[in-house]
Amino acid sequence: MTGQEFLDVLTSRKSIRRYKTDPVPDEMIDMILEAARWAPTGENYQPWRFIVIRDQETRNKIGDLSKQGSGSRMTSWYCLSELQQRFEGIEDPVKRAEVLEFMYSGRVSEFCKQAPVVIAVIGDLRVGSVDVPYDLCAAMENMILQAHAMGLGSCWVYGPVASTRDARRFKDILGIPQGMGYYKVLSYLAIGWPKEQRKHPRPKLPLSEMVYWEKFGNKERI
Amino acid sequence: MDSIKYCNEVMARLETLMYQELSGMAHWKCEFVGTDFIRSKDIQGKTVPEIVESCVKEMKAAGIVSEITYKTSPDGLMLKLKVKNCIHHLKEVLVEEEGVAPYICPIANIVLDQIHEKLKYTTSYKAKQAIDGENKQCLIYNALYKTADQIGQVSDWLKDDEDREWLENQPSQILAAADRKKS
Repeated sequence: MTGQEFLDVLTSRKSIRRYKTDPVPDEMIDMILEAARWAPTGENYQPWRFIVIRDQETRNKIGDLSKQGSGSRMTSWYCLSELQQRFEGIEDPVKRAEVLEFMYSGRVSEFCKQAPVVIAVIGDLRVGSVDVPYDLCAAMENMILQAHAMGLGSCWVYGPVASTRDARRFKDILGIPQGMGYYKVLSYLAIGWPKEQRKHPRPKLPLSEMVYWEKFGNKERI
Repeated sequence: MDSIKYCNEVMARLETLMYQELSGMAHWKCEFVGTDFIRSKDIQGKTVPEIVESCVKEMKAAGIVSEITYKTSPDGLMLKLKVKNCIHHLKEVLVEEEGVAPYICPIANIVLDQIHEKLKYTTSYKAKQAIDGENKQCLIYNALYKTADQIGQVSDWLKDDEDREWLENQPSQILAAADRKKS
């Protein structure tokens, strides 16, 4: 694979929130988990642990918790007139209202009920000494890219564990020990066959707005 | 030693460090800060106003605040707290000096915790915290959801709000809102 071919994989990835009901074969799930296993990890501690969830009832509980987390925040942002500012760019008022309702209802984060596979990414805080959150994020990214490379869609979801109270509920659903010194719940990955074709490529800032050379603020390549 | 000053300095360091590590996500991680105090008290009440008043009574007796007024929206989804002379005011000043908008409010956490504990609300959210350093007062807007189906019930919380103008000049928790508007 050339550098450009690899870059094509990266740049064609999109977060997918609508899935077909077709199951994801075990071999593909294994390959996604294998990709996670090879993520960079400080001092090779490998603190990540993965809970693969296919049970519909469990996914429903997680979906409800996700909806509740996002919806509770966005409802209040709307009521304080802040959420509306975020979507001022949508000119069609009907479309804008639909998007806003989708957000503040929490439905934006409910889709794991339809995703055939959900993988919770947690970290054993007693194993990884100092890098646990970063290791977990690297593992998550590897899984996302591996899924995309195989034609699957995925979405990294943080909603159900954003607040500490909800993180406790998430741990309860999956039987994860509650002590603050045991496991960190990072988030989960919803995976399935894409049912949507999202606009591509999504707008990204140019490198000239994010790259400095040698020192902060210097945009000129030396 | 001024133990209140010492504790606020410790809190401010932790609050700014959390923000540095987690960015805006830190807002969502600190809802239990301060709740141990109120859990050691016998808070009683069957309604939000009763719980709020019971918590306020305990906080005033302990010298945590000198005055709290509150208001709920007609649908009960919004709880606005106006806090004066809070024991944590120095913490807010120190956090702001580091360029961070203060986001941990033990007072709101205390009240929301007891609404959860005693009234079994589904969830809640501290939606906005605004600080008037000059007058040593804070405004905190909280969302209360007794049941899950209340999520998504929207209204204009700031309609006829006496503090609307001041509040609209405060930083948004949707951090990139200004940038998004430009694009």
